Amino acid sequence: MSLFTLGIARGLVGQVLGMVIGMLLTCAVRILLGWEAWAAEPAWTVGSVCSIIGFLLGVGSLDDWLKWTRGIQTPLVHGPPVDKPAWTRYFSVDYNHKVIGVQYTVWGILLLMVGGTVAMIFRTELARSGLQFLGLDLYNSFIGMHGMIMIFAILLGVGGMGNYLVPLMIGAEDMAFPRLNALGFWFNVPGSILLLLSLFIGGWDAGWTAYPPLSARGPIGYQLFFLGVFAIGLSSIVGSLNLLVTLLRMRPAGMSLFRMPIFCWAVFATSLIQLTATQLIGTSFLMVSVQRAIGMGFFDPRGILGEVSPMVGGGDPVLFQHLFWFYSHPAVYIFVLPGLGIVSELLPVFSRKPLFGYKWIALSSMAIAIVGFIVWGHHMFVSGYNDILRIPFMYATLLVAIPTGVKFFSWLGTIWGGKVHFDTPMLFVLGAISVFLIGGLTGPILATVPTDLPLHDSYFVVGHFHATMFGGFVFPFFAALYYWFPKVTGRMYNEKLGKIHFFIMTPAFWVQTLGQMGVGVMGMRRRIADYDPTLGQGQIENWQMAVTIAGFAIAFGVMLMLWNFFQNAEVGVSAGDNPWRSRSPEWQIPSPIPEHSFPAPLKVVGEPYDYGLADSGYVTTTSPGDD
Amino acid sequence: MASNRRHFIIASVLIVICTLIVYWVLDTVLLKPAAAVVEAGPIDYLFDLHIWLIAFLFALVGVFMCYALIVFRARGDEGDGEHIHGNGLLEIIWTVVPCFVVVYFAWIGTTMLIDLTEAHPDEYVVSAEGRQWSWLFTYPESGAVTPDLVLPVDTPIRMDLTSDDVLHNFWVPEFRVKQDTVPGMVTYVRFTPNLIGEYVLRCAELCGTNHSGMLATVRVVSQEEFKLWQSEQVAQLQE
Ligand code: HEM
Ligand SMILES: [Cu+2]
Ligand SMILES: [Cu+2]
Repeated sequence: MSLFTLGIARGLVGQVLGMVIGMLLTCAVRILLGWEAWAAEPAWTVGSVCSIIGFLLGVGSLDDWLKWTRGIQTPLVHGPPVDKPAWTRYFSVDYNHKVIGVQYTVWGILLLMVGGTVAMIFRTELARSGLQFLGLDLYNSFIGMHGMIMIFAILLGVGGMGNYLVPLMIGAEDMAFPRLNALGFWFNVPGSILLLLSLFIGGWDAGWTAYPPLSARGPIGYQLFFLGVFAIGLSSIVGSLNLLVTLLRMRPAGMSLFRMPIFCWAVFATSLIQLTATQLIGTSFLMVSVQRAIGMGFFDPRGILGEVSPMVGGGDPVLFQHLFWFYSHPAVYIFVLPGLGIVSELLPVFSRKPLFGYKWIALSSMAIAIVGFIVWGHHMFVSGYNDILRIPFMYATLLVAIPTGVKFFSWLGTIWGGKVHFDTPMLFVLGAISVFLIGGLTGPILATVPTDLPLHDSYFVVGHFHATMFGGFVFPFFAALYYWFPKVTGRMYNEKLGKIHFFIMTPAFWVQTLGQMGVGVMGMRRRIADYDPTLGQGQIENWQMAVTIAGFAIAFGVMLMLWNFFQNAEVGVSAGDNPWRSRSPEWQIPSPIPEHSFPAPLKVVGEPYDYGLADSGYVTTTSPGDD
Repeated sequence: MASNRRHFIIASVLIVICTLIVYWVLDTVLLKPAAAVVEAGPIDYLFDLHIWLIAFLFALVGVFMCYALIVFRARGDEGDGEHIHGNGLLEIIWTVVPCFVVVYFAWIGTTMLIDLTEAHPDEYVVSAEGRQWSWLFTYPESGAVTPDLVLPVDTPIRMDLTSDDVLHNFWVPEFRVKQDTVPGMVTYVRFTPNLIGEYVLRCAELCGTNHSGMLATVRVVSQEEFKLWQSEQVAQLQE
């Protein structure tokens, strides 16, 4: 078997070829215009665009559509590849949502590891004041890189959970548009490769938010970063469209919206945001890209040559921030709503009790998604926009705390009076609640403008959003990995290692987030390579050291988890079909799940979470012979 | 139900204790820099109010969660919990009560913000220009231009902020307030220093390579000393 039977290998070759062709094309056009042939920035920019297309052509994600344009019919292939080993399907275009879900998840975990490694490098630098081994520019590139890689990783993790679980939870054969689903995944691969590559052609030094004018002047790395984000954005848009249609059109008989497993509500709210907001970050980055490439000064008040000229400029740097945050605030809910859905999904199973206030939890996700669209200005309280605007944004932001609170209280109601089991997934759910609580509670102090004035762009914000992201994504994602691992592989992970992972990571995270907030209040700004050791009456270095050590402890815990999964995926103890005694449809079928998940269409006969009600069922599969 | 009442009484006591402990921890860890302006008073007051709220809510959720986990743990049996789907009244209560709390906080925030940004009739204006990676201060009254900022104590100050290259941010942690400098526009920030001393202005908006080192010394001096300093500057200019 040659390497090129793997789609991803062909895709990578296609990406390199695309890059080269794009560069040659640029040179050719410049020669025709009578300019000097080589100019690095346009060459890399056009090359990057072509490299994305090259990858998609190489991997074969566009094959079926291209054939259709020529009138050739192609059936939807469902099943392992015929003339190759079965595992190769995970490295090639495959239309089964379960394969795509695993592809998303694994690629997400890989990026999580890369992003984590970058973080550990600059965290080591920060353990002591003074510059030890990183240069200033490299440090600045690293913090932006860490942020953006992690965002990619989260979007992939969210995509993985949604794609794998949603069709199973609603008993659908597959996603509504399987080919689009595959395309949605494969956009991510060239996108993340461009992002990583940007580090090697100069990096980019304005953080993940890439505010111009700084981002309009820095190294060429910016162009690759912008286009990488653009590719990921396309993935978000097609992926969310697919999930929305699947959820609306493919539910089985009897499954009204309020009888869906609660995770589906979370995915629904998330997808609505992704489908409607992602365009804004794409636009804002594209505008900076164009400003850099051909001098349209969208965000430049004076002109890119640095002199007042009637030919260039005429833009406004603050406009960028509006466009950027109009996506990037709702984006934080893209990151956390699915995770909060996992918490709501798992609590009833491990408490053996119905979900408390199902409708309230479902609607709180929608409320968060909707109100989330009118709060973006809280990131811009000191940006210089109209002073009066700060007040409505303050009110709107504080209102988001209410549906968030509803979730917490409903979770408590679920546990109260239950029979709680403490398996590893449940531990991570409880860890998630504790950590998201810290994140959520530190939101309002940033939302009232007078207290945000000292805290904005300080390390306190870093502490706040790490707590929300860990509580809203990382902990629930890990809970989901432990919880569905037996479903995906048919094997059980090692429970003891799972518990060790939990008891290392949770306290370590508390120390990390509290430490970050502490040094922020002491007066440490965010995104600085070096800090003043006299801050906080000289205590700052102790906290920095504690945060670094905690970071390493978390990294160790994650490695333990991956080792645990790696060890047991093939040879672990057989898990049985439903080790958690869940009522959800995916647990009523064999593990691992067969190619066609359900032998016959599902029928919903009860409520999803009727734990404690004797002889009640949620779904039945009527096999074709029955009626 | 009777057992529920006993649970709630125990939990309430624990919540009170836990609130105090969390407040104490946060108060110990979150060390604010010295307060060197009048505005730090109200800002720190609201900050403290938030910390009390955080401590209380953290205790409320944390205590109920831990208490439930201990009392309602599965004791080796495979049975299920009570079959309860929810409680509409409770849901309404914990939706409506927080509404009042957040609106109250937003209202305090609003009135305080209006106070903080209000113009003083006799304010002293200094211009600051951020540039990669240093600051330049201009005193319109004397025409002096300096790399360090010198301010008279007990005088309302308005800083007019500009930038010639990228975004920067004017922030002295001891002054609490901060404001971006934006190329192409003049932004401003107001404060009234009330503590003589030497502080550091720290650029708080990522501005490229040496952002972390973009510092300037800020000296708050007595009004007499300020007059003296100002006339020195004028004398230097005339030479
Ligand atoms: C109770 C709800 C929340 C409130 C009131 C709130 C409020 C805020 C405010 C006002 C800021 C701006 C701080 C500043 O830059 O000065 C902020 C920053 C941030 N918040 Fe939240 N937040 C809440 C929940 C969340 C959640 C659920 C997430 C999800 C992950 C999140 C993620 C972030 C991020 C990523 C930033 C920093 C972005 C950056 O500047 O890089 N927050 N939050
Ligand atoms: Cu936000
Ligand atoms: Cu700066």
